[in-house]
Amino acid sequence: MQIERRLPRIAVQGLTGCAGELLVILENLGSVLPFVQVASFPFAQSKNDLSDIDIAFVEGSVSQKHDIDSIKEIRARSKWLVAVGNCAVHGCVQSSTCSRYKAKELVEAVYAKDSPIEALDAKPLSSYVNVDVELSGCPIDKNQFLAVLASLLKDHLPYIIDRPVCLECKMRENGCVLIEKNLPCLGPVTAAGCGALCPSFEAACYGCFGPCKDPQLNAMATVLSEKGYNLSDILVRLGTFGIPEQVLSNLDVKR
Amino acid sequence: MGSVYAPVRVSDQSFAFRSVRDEAEIAFEALRTILPPKKFFYPAKETILECDGDEVKEHIEVVEPFAVFGVHPCDLAGLNALDKIFLSTPQDSHYQRRRRAAFIIGLSCLPDKHCFCKAMKADAPGKGYDLFLTDLEDKYFVQVNNQEAFEFILSCKEFMHLASDQDNQGYKKFWNDRDSMFEHNFDSAQLPNLMDLGWDHPLWQELGERCLSCGNCTPVCPTCYCFDMTDVAMFNSEKVEAERQRVWDSCQFSGFAAVAGGENFRPGPVDRLKFWYRHKLHGFEDPIEIPSCVGCGRCTVSCPSGIDDLPGVIRILAGRPQLNLEGEIA
Repeated sequence: MQIERRLPRIAVQGLTGCAGELLVILENLGSVLPFVQVASFPFAQSKNDLSDIDIAFVEGSVSQKHDIDSIKEIRARSKWLVAVGNCAVHGCVQSSTCSRYKAKELVEAVYAKDSPIEALDAKPLSSYVNVDVELSGCPIDKNQFLAVLASLLKDHLPYIIDRPVCLECKMRENGCVLIEKNLPCLGPVTAAGCGALCPSFEAACYGCFGPCKDPQLNAMATVLSEKGYNLSDILVRLGTFGIPEQVLSNLDVKR
Repeated sequence: MGSVYAPVRVSDQSFAFRSVRDEAEIAFEALRTILPPKKFFYPAKETILECDGDEVKEHIEVVEPFAVFGVHPCDLAGLNALDKIFLSTPQDSHYQRRRRAAFIIGLSCLPDKHCFCKAMKADAPGKGYDLFLTDLEDKYFVQVNNQEAFEFILSCKEFMHLASDQDNQGYKKFWNDRDSMFEHNFDSAQLPNLMDLGWDHPLWQELGERCLSCGNCTPVCPTCYCFDMTDVAMFNSEKVEAERQRVWDSCQFSGFAAVAGGENFRPGPVDRLKFWYRHKLHGFEDPIEIPSCVGCGRCTVSCPSGIDDLPGVIRILAGRPQLNLEGEIA
């Protein structure tokens, strides 16, 4: 009797997020289908089996009590857990920008008093479970996603660039919008991976992949401040995609 | 037929070497491109090894002959420095293959306020080119450096005439006039000593606090050659394959000097920036050995924080404290 080797089983799950990552994965599912079995992908198929998962991709932040239950269950059933997207890696807007308010006040303002919504302070997956791979982006870059999956199928931890957008921007030889146009570009402190998409179209990077490794936020805020940008606007801009409020409130901006 | 690369305008203030098909595309006025011509020989990302199942083999790229037009003296000096790094034993075959395939046409230029190639002794067309053109306004004075270049000249004789005495005088006048146009003129022989003396200078702290660690100064530098190796898996239509890629790295990134155990030899921008300046102005125990800066001014114009003003830094280390490019020259 010949035993057919089973394909690795993947799961693609969403917590609290906009489904941007689910869309990117769905759009690129065709090129990975020969290599994997899609065991669970509630966004894309109605029959899902979240058992014995080889690689789980999870988007969204943990923002509600049932999110905690979900991520713990996924973790327990998966060999590799990959956080995909800024929400799952950094907490994105619902974590950084909203952390200025108390969750309870926000719920009351949005859903009225005594609503049954049990909102928590939004947190990345790593606040609750061990995450094996973190792939940020808003949304994620499809080439990075494919590289991560291909790498994990070889049981090899993927290389994910943690250097600033500036490196990819220089490689494309774009004129620098921060220098030449005085735009509030966050390329120097933002993780690459997008291929310097916005600056390639003469727009400022707004930081959607989250901070690069060891971001020099004091220097970034100082440079923008010298260009005439208002400090409170700079802090909002820096804080949108995952730099925590408490880090920003301690910045030492020289002017 | 191979491609011809020349500077083209990419933004209000910037140029880049791009493939051109028509003379009208060429920005003859380009003083410095965003990336130096090192990108043709030592690309930002290249495949070194291919892995197919259990078989690993060297990736050998077929390199078509190509020409690079408009390479200024500082960039020729940069290529000569990289030759010492990549063509010293053991030679880097990937670099060598591309260097051999290239036909390099140098072009004279006039300095702006950021240029200090003269001080770094990288201002004259020495070697590293096939043809070098000096702009004599209504014609070019052509220097021919090798047999291949001579044969090229013979193939387009109708555009050439032998240099007359007047042409020779014109050549000397161009380079003499150019000599007097540099704002920055200092004795670079003292640079390694100044760097040693300035090891604890408060300047490094000041610059480091302003440094974004964006790494812009290193990809644009004609003599920065540091790279990282990464193993990248990918899908093809039937199977998962992998390759080993060589990608440009930068000593300005925090991971550059990180080692196992979570330690880092240069954990902050102050140490990292000083390290880079030391390589450029002092030199390491590498085949270049001497200060590797060629005075092209790229780091100055591409620093978003405005701190990589090398002549200004040199002036401070030398005890002339004005950090003002328009100011008095040493």
